[in-house]
Amino acid sequence: MLKVENVRKAFSEVTVLDGVDLTIAPGEVVSILGSSGSGKSTLIRCINGLERLNAGRITVDDFDVSKPKELAEARKRSGTVFQLFNLYPHMSVLQNITLAPIEVLKTPRPEAEAIARKLLESVGLADRADAYPAQLSGGQRQRVGICRALAMQPRYLLLDEVTSALDPEMTAEVLAILAKLAAQGTTMLFVTHEIEFAREISDRIVFLDKGRLVVDLPTDRFFAADGGRAQPRVAQFLSRMRKD
Amino acid sequence: MHFDLSILLPHLGFLARGAELTAAACALSLVGSVVMGALVAIARTSASSTLRRIAFIYVDLFRNVPFIVQLFFFYYGLPELGIYIDAFTTGVVALSIAGGAYASDTIRAGILAIDQGIIDAAEVSGLSRRKIFTRIVLPIALRTSVRPLGSVLINMILTSSILSTITLNELTGSAQIVVSQTYRPFEVYVVLLCAYAALTYLVSLAVTLLHRHLNRDMMEAVG
Repeated sequence: MLKVENVRKAFSEVTVLDGVDLTIAPGEVVSILGSSGSGKSTLIRCINGLERLNAGRITVDDFDVSKPKELAEARKRSGTVFQLFNLYPHMSVLQNITLAPIEVLKTPRPEAEAIARKLLESVGLADRADAYPAQLSGGQRQRVGICRALAMQPRYLLLDEVTSALDPEMTAEVLAILAKLAAQGTTMLFVTHEIEFAREISDRIVFLDKGRLVVDLPTDRFFAADGGRAQPRVAQFLSRMRKD
Repeated sequence: MHFDLSILLPHLGFLARGAELTAAACALSLVGSVVMGALVAIARTSASSTLRRIAFIYVDLFRNVPFIVQLFFFYYGLPELGIYIDAFTTGVVALSIAGGAYASDTIRAGILAIDQGIIDAAEVSGLSRRKIFTRIVLPIALRTSVRPLGSVLINMILTSSILSTITLNELTGSAQIVVSQTYRPFEVYVVLLCAYAALTYLVSLAVTLLHRHLNRDMMEAVG
């Protein structure tokens, strides 16, 4: 269970998260929608311990991310895929994926490499294992980013606007992989602007507005006129996104 | 006068030993100054303001005092306090400290240029701070700072000639001795010029190759 309880996060005077509650059970796919600046990415950064909370509590399988001693365990259970990939530029694709398994999980190198190659094969990049990030397209880089996160065998996959930096074609190739992962039962917390895709793969959709979690509903209820759409902010957001 | 290099033949072995000493002192000082430079760069980019201040004072101090004064202080000053170090060790230590002050700047610039997102990725993957520094931060910083670091190193080779002033018979020291024995300064210093030029040329060649190796991914990058 991944639990976010009454979390508040402010950067100096600006409150970015204001009393957010969210629970994700193993196997669930939850999408977070909301306009830019609503606190979606900050929520992800709080869950993986990159930002300190001002108040509240986040636990990943009962490990509290605010406690330095428990953070390491919490981080082992979650994997993050970033908007801008954040691959290690000086390492090959294979090294990018195997670094943490070897150093953190102490997986023997041959085994870590075998796992990495299998992951690369599953995202269609089997022949790019020895390439460097600079030699890959954006879509390929993000697929490597997904492999790097999955190589740690996380219980929760955190996806922070993973297609926002990609063109439509590359977005499609990355979303295809996420759909496959969702179908396999991977637990995912998916921050996105891809509303249609979120609708297809999510069990639940939550909507953040100015740091407050205003809607948390099963996907079909979220899009129903008497469900999420009954909230003026959600209706407004959905109609604006449609025009694009 | 007529130019005759052959008069140096009997002294070539002696000069070669001087060159060896220069090479040894420079190689050790290279390691020393990169280690010092990395430590100081860490301190200067650390969260602790005390560490940052100490590092800043170190860099400021050793860059604003002539090297020969630093060297004399270590070699002639410290024995007054009962600290005796031989000439070679003194030379290596002094070169490492002075070189470290310059090296720290280039390494620090390399560290500051690293995209924070890359460090975030390393952090969430559970790597320890030490591992993040040795496996991610330092190698990426070196990619950009290896060239300026190379000029720091070349400067250090040139500066090493000053070690002759503390009785160390490295290349310049040996040359001075040969001059006093042969009274042929022109020939001796022609050889010396060529020797230093060759030494620094080799180093800049090595730096270029290292730079190419560290940035090999960029060489064949797709558009």
